[in-house]
This record gives sequence, C-alpha cells and structure tokens, in this order.
Amino acid sequence: MITLGWTESARIMLRTKPWTPYLYLAPVSLLMLFVFGYPLVAIFDFSLRRIRGASGPFIGLENYRQIFKDEVFQQAILHNAQLLLAVPILVLVGIVLAVLLYERVAGWRIHRTILFAPFIIAIPVIGIVFSNMLSLNGAVNELLRAMGLDFLALDWLGSAQMALWSVMAIIIWHEMGFGVVLFLARLLSLNEEIQEAARIDGAGWWQRLWYVTIPQLKDVTEFYAVVSVITMLAWVFPFVYVMTRGGPGNATMIPGLDMYQSAFQNAQLGYGMAIGTLLFFAMLVVTGVALRILRVRT
Amino acid sequence: MSHKVLRISRRDFVKLAATSAIAAGIYPFVNWAPYTAHAAGEKLRMWWWGEQEAPGLEKWVKDSVAMFEKDAGVTIEVTLQDTTTVISEFQTASAAGNAPDIQFLWNGIYHMESVWLGYLEPLNGLISDELLKEADATVLSIYQGKQYRLGWYAASPMWLYNKEMFDKAGLNADEPPTTWEGLLDACDKLKSKGFTPIVGGLKDGPWGEWYMGHALGPNLDTPAEALKLFIGELDWREPKYHEHWTKLEQLWKAGYMNEDMNSIDLYPGMDYFGAGKGAMTAIVIPTLGKQAGMLGAEKVGLMVFPAGGKGKMNNKPIRDLQGLGISSQSQHKEIAAKFLEFLHTPERVQAIWTDSKALPTDASWDGSAIEDPLFRGAWKTWVANPDAVPYISNLMPVMFWTDAMFVNSQKIVAGEYNGEQAGENAQAVATKWREQNPDLLEHYQIWAEDLKL
Repeated sequence: MITLGWTESARIMLRTKPWTPYLYLAPVSLLMLFVFGYPLVAIFDFSLRRIRGASGPFIGLENYRQIFKDEVFQQAILHNAQLLLAVPILVLVGIVLAVLLYERVAGWRIHRTILFAPFIIAIPVIGIVFSNMLSLNGAVNELLRAMGLDFLALDWLGSAQMALWSVMAIIIWHEMGFGVVLFLARLLSLNEEIQEAARIDGAGWWQRLWYVTIPQLKDVTEFYAVVSVITMLAWVFPFVYVMTRGGPGNATMIPGLDMYQSAFQNAQLGYGMAIGTLLFFAMLVVTGVALRILRVRT
Repeated sequence: MSHKVLRISRRDFVKLAATSAIAAGIYPFVNWAPYTAHAAGEKLRMWWWGEQEAPGLEKWVKDSVAMFEKDAGVTIEVTLQDTTTVISEFQTASAAGNAPDIQFLWNGIYHMESVWLGYLEPLNGLISDELLKEADATVLSIYQGKQYRLGWYAASPMWLYNKEMFDKAGLNADEPPTTWEGLLDACDKLKSKGFTPIVGGLKDGPWGEWYMGHALGPNLDTPAEALKLFIGELDWREPKYHEHWTKLEQLWKAGYMNEDMNSIDLYPGMDYFGAGKGAMTAIVIPTLGKQAGMLGAEKVGLMVFPAGGKGKMNNKPIRDLQGLGISSQSQHKEIAAKFLEFLHTPERVQAIWTDSKALPTDASWDGSAIEDPLFRGAWKTWVANPDAVPYISNLMPVMFWTDAMFVNSQKIVAGEYNGEQAGENAQAVATKWREQNPDLLEHYQIWAEDLKL
C-alpha cells in the first residue's frame, strides 16, 4: 500500500486544474437538473396553458386567475393552515414522550416500538382502518357507547365540524413516532453529567426538563418543526384522499387534493399544474423562512 | 464453399418491375386476400374494465381473446385497468401517441371528451350498420351522427326494495311506490315498524351522482335539457332543476335514511340492503346478483325511483351500459373492428351471461337463458325496454360530479345545505366549468343539438 505524505498530496492538488472537480460533478449535476429541473419547467409551462391531451393553447395567467377566485381553493388553503396547528402538538408530544423513554420508564423498549410503529405503517392502510373505526357505527363509537359515553360517539369523519380535526389527529398519531425517535437519539447523545449536576443541585423533574433538557434539544426541535411544516403542507394528501376524499362537502379539501382532482379527474391539467406551481412556491417560501431562522440562530 | 451468381437479364428485370408495379397499384382496390392472411402476426392491445363490478368477465375476455387469436392469427394483449385510471390512462397514452387499439369506455361524457380530443375512431364504416344498431351503445355515444362505442353489458341504475319489510309494514310488496307521496308514505310506514327506509353511503361521493341521475331526470323532457344547464341556457336555481335536492333534504330530515350515510362509502351503504338493514337502496344491474345473494332473491323487488317529476322522463327506467371503442391511433383498426364483431357473435354474447351474470345488451339476445325471475325482470325493464331513458348523470362534466353532485348531497346530509343552496352551488359550479372550459362548451352545444333528436 502506498501512502502519500501531505506535501505530495498538496502537490497533486496544485497540479489539478480548477475546473477539474466540476467536470467530475457534471454528469450527476446534469442528471439532477433533468430529473428535477425539467418537470418543474414543464409544470410551469402547463400552468400557463389550457391543456387538452399533451398540450394546449397558451392562456397566460388565466388558470391562476380562476384559482384565486375559486371558493374551493380558498377553503383548501384555510384547511391546510388549520393543519399547521398540528406542528406544535407534534413537537411537544414528541419531546415529552422522548424524555419519558429516555428516563427508562417501565417497559420503555416496548413503548418505544409501539410509538414508532405507526410511522412505518403504509398510509393507505392507516386510512382504510381508521375510516372504518371512525365511522358513526365503527369500533371507536361502539366502544364509547359500551362505556356509557354515548355523548362522545360522534360522526368523526362524516360531520363537517369534526372531519378535519379527526384527520389531523390521525396524522399526528402517524407522524409522532418520527419525532420521538429524533428527540430520543439526541437525548442519548447528551452529556449525562449536566443532568446529574442539576439533580445534585436539587432540580426537580420539571426544572431539569425545562432548563436543562429542552435547551439542549433546540437544534433537533427546529429541524423537526421544519420537517413537520413541510409534511403538513405537502404530505397530507394520501391521508385525506383515503379517509375522506375532501368531504363531507369540502370540509377536508386541501390544495393537494384540489390539484389532483383538477388534473386527473376533471381533465384540467393546466389548472391542476397552476395549483401545483403555487404549492411549490409556497413550500419554497416556508422552507426558506425556516432555514433562514435556523441559520440566524446558529 | 461455392457462390452462385443470380443472373437477371434486362428483359427479366423489366418484366419483374412491371409486374410489381401493377400488383402494388391494384392492391388497394382489390382486397382479395382472406382476412386471416391479412391479419396474421399482428399484435393488438386492449385495455378494459369490468371485472370489478361483474366478476367472471375476466374469464370471458380471456376466452374471447384466445378464440379470436386462434382464428385470426393475431395476438391481443389485454390489460385490466384500475377504476380510478380508466379515463386518464387512455387519454394520457393517446396524448403520448401510445394508445391501445381497443379501449373500454363508460358512457356519455366519459368517452365524449376523448372523442372531442380526437382519440377515438368513429365505428361507422368499420363495423356494419346492422351491428352498430343491434349492439346499441345508447344515444349518449353518438356525436354528430357518428357512433363511437359498441355496447357490451348492462350497467343500468335501478332501485331495490325488500318485499319482506314492505309486507311487515303493511305495504303491497308487489307494487312499490310510483309517486313521491307514495314513497313518503312507504318510508313513514317502514320507519314506524323500526326499519330504515332508505340505505346508502355518501362518504366517497358517487351516491350523490346516482341520486341525481334518478331524481333530476324525471323533471326533464329530454337529456338535452340537462346539457343546457351547462351551456348556460337553463339555470340550476330554477326550482325545477334543484327540486330533487330539496326532496333529498326532506327524506334526510324525516329520518328516512341511514344516519351514518356520510361516514360510509357507496358499496358498504348498498350492502346494508343485502344485510337486511334497510328497505330500499340504489344499485346498478351488475351488483344485483350480490344483493340478491345476500338477502335472498325471493325477498328482493325491483323499482324505478318514484321521484315525482313533471317531465316526460318521469317514472321511466334508466338504461345504461358499458362499451368498447377503437383508438384513432390504432394501426389495426380493421382487425380491432373484427374483434369487436367477434365479441358480438351469438355464442360470445350468450357467454357474457353464462360467465359473469352480466346482462348482454345486444338486441338479438332474447334473454331466454335467464331463468331467475329477478334477473329476467331486470333485463326486461332496464335493458330490453324501448321506453327506457338515458342516464343523465352521464352528461355532466366530471367537475360537476366532484364539486356539485357529491358535495351537494354530502352537505345536505351534514345539514349545511338546503335544496335551494344546493341549486346555487350547482349554478356556481356550472359557471366555473364554462369559464374554465370555453373550448368544451362549444362541443357541448353541438352535443345538445344532437340529443334533441
């Protein structure tokens, strides 16, 4: 085996032309540009056309004008904003459960598995199972009635007042496991001496959590919050599609489903792609703001 | 190894060239070659749907393909499509220039958009006029005088009632209600005996479409009237055009429908009937066997929904059917047409019934093979009945399904809309559709003229 000293390595590097690394990166960069760039350009182009089949006449911003005056889209945006309320819940519940696991409550290994399990179950499976369980005469309400809690046996997915919150609860249940694992991994990497010192100084459980543990979880918390915001904006479509199809009425309509229905059911691909473009830019703004906040803090 | 040199004289060359030119010139005018020789070795593709609603059709399709392949010396690759992608898959493949030769087609707007996009070939000229008429695909498959589908099996929407429950409620089990007042009276008596009068599931939406198809049609004189509601010549806010939603509200508020309607899907809601949990439900013919099997055929009665309309289409059974068409991009249109003709030979038509218990729609099929009186009644009234009317929901743009038919029914059941508000929403959706689809509007106007006939 030949090893080079640092002087020899430096000499080789100096001999390398400045553009050589870019040459090595070029094939993958071009591939990435094609895979991600081309669809984006195509989607934007489609959004400016009335697509019939593979193409259609250029109609400028007409699709966007129609979207902004469409009540269904306005409701969809509102519902997505409401779903963002799940983000602080996810963060809070994730931290509390991770701390409990970290402190090795009885059966913590089983609890850890149980908490993470929903995250790895396929969303359509969850959707179908919960659709049945949460129907007016489903397992949840039958159980409540058997316990004499008839007043709590509501039409979870069939009532316009309840449906969105029911969907949100299921999303939280599904996504929570990821947060717990993230926070737990961070907790396990912390210096235990700090906790020990706080304990010796007489800090109680709550004080240790608030003043010692949570501040050390700041970076993971911020990361998880950003990921959760993205999830709530871009990844709730399969939950809604399987459980409610946006109903009853439009009570659980979200922009992703509106886009899908327009593009693939109503055969209005241009209109659907205009919604997709708006969602893309909304995601860019939200992610950009979140990353900016992270960068400023670090 | 020896090499033989082919020697052709100038005279031989001229003779050969002249013979070839004459042969090539007259070939298009004299198609004397037998069909099998003409088709030999060709490969066709067929995309179809139907096993989902009529189990057994897959066997029929495979048998038919095997027989035709053997006789014609061609290969047909068949693909069973998913319910959600039947239309979009064909349109996407057509847009990409890769459409199948033969495509399953739902009725009305579901294939008419493909007609307007130029993706479907008119069958006139490819298939004999006699067969086009015999395997009639309903008036909703015709655009500017050209027919784009060949009928296959019946998918007529209808209503079932439970004779035993009717009996127990003191109703005549052999004469279901035929007027709106009669329906309300029946519902009242059934409810008072502890039965749920009407069962269904609305969560996924299509029950809303079925209901409108049954209840709006009776207030219309022709299908063209329904199209005019989209063209803008008629207004959904007129009581005549949203009265059916007011009646739905009336049924719901009186407690005549299952209370979990908004939290279960179409088919589980329908199965309440088979399970003996409801006295009446809406179905399509291919699901009749399942419901009769669950409840017991002797307890099942067939009825036209008594919507109490004032139009010429009132109290008429609805006739709808599934069909097949040929892609305009097919390189083998004639072979595809021969295959469709083969599917309508008497033996194959009879086999539809034998293999799947789906009811063939060919006029030549006399139904004598149907021994079950329930199916026989369904065939006589909803398939072979010249008085039956087209299914008007098939005329509605898909946007109207999702944004109006589904939404209105769900909101009425959720207590958010009354009939009038449902009419306002329908008008708003129709206006939105017109603004977003000015090009399709022109086609709709032409189609409306066609349907006046």
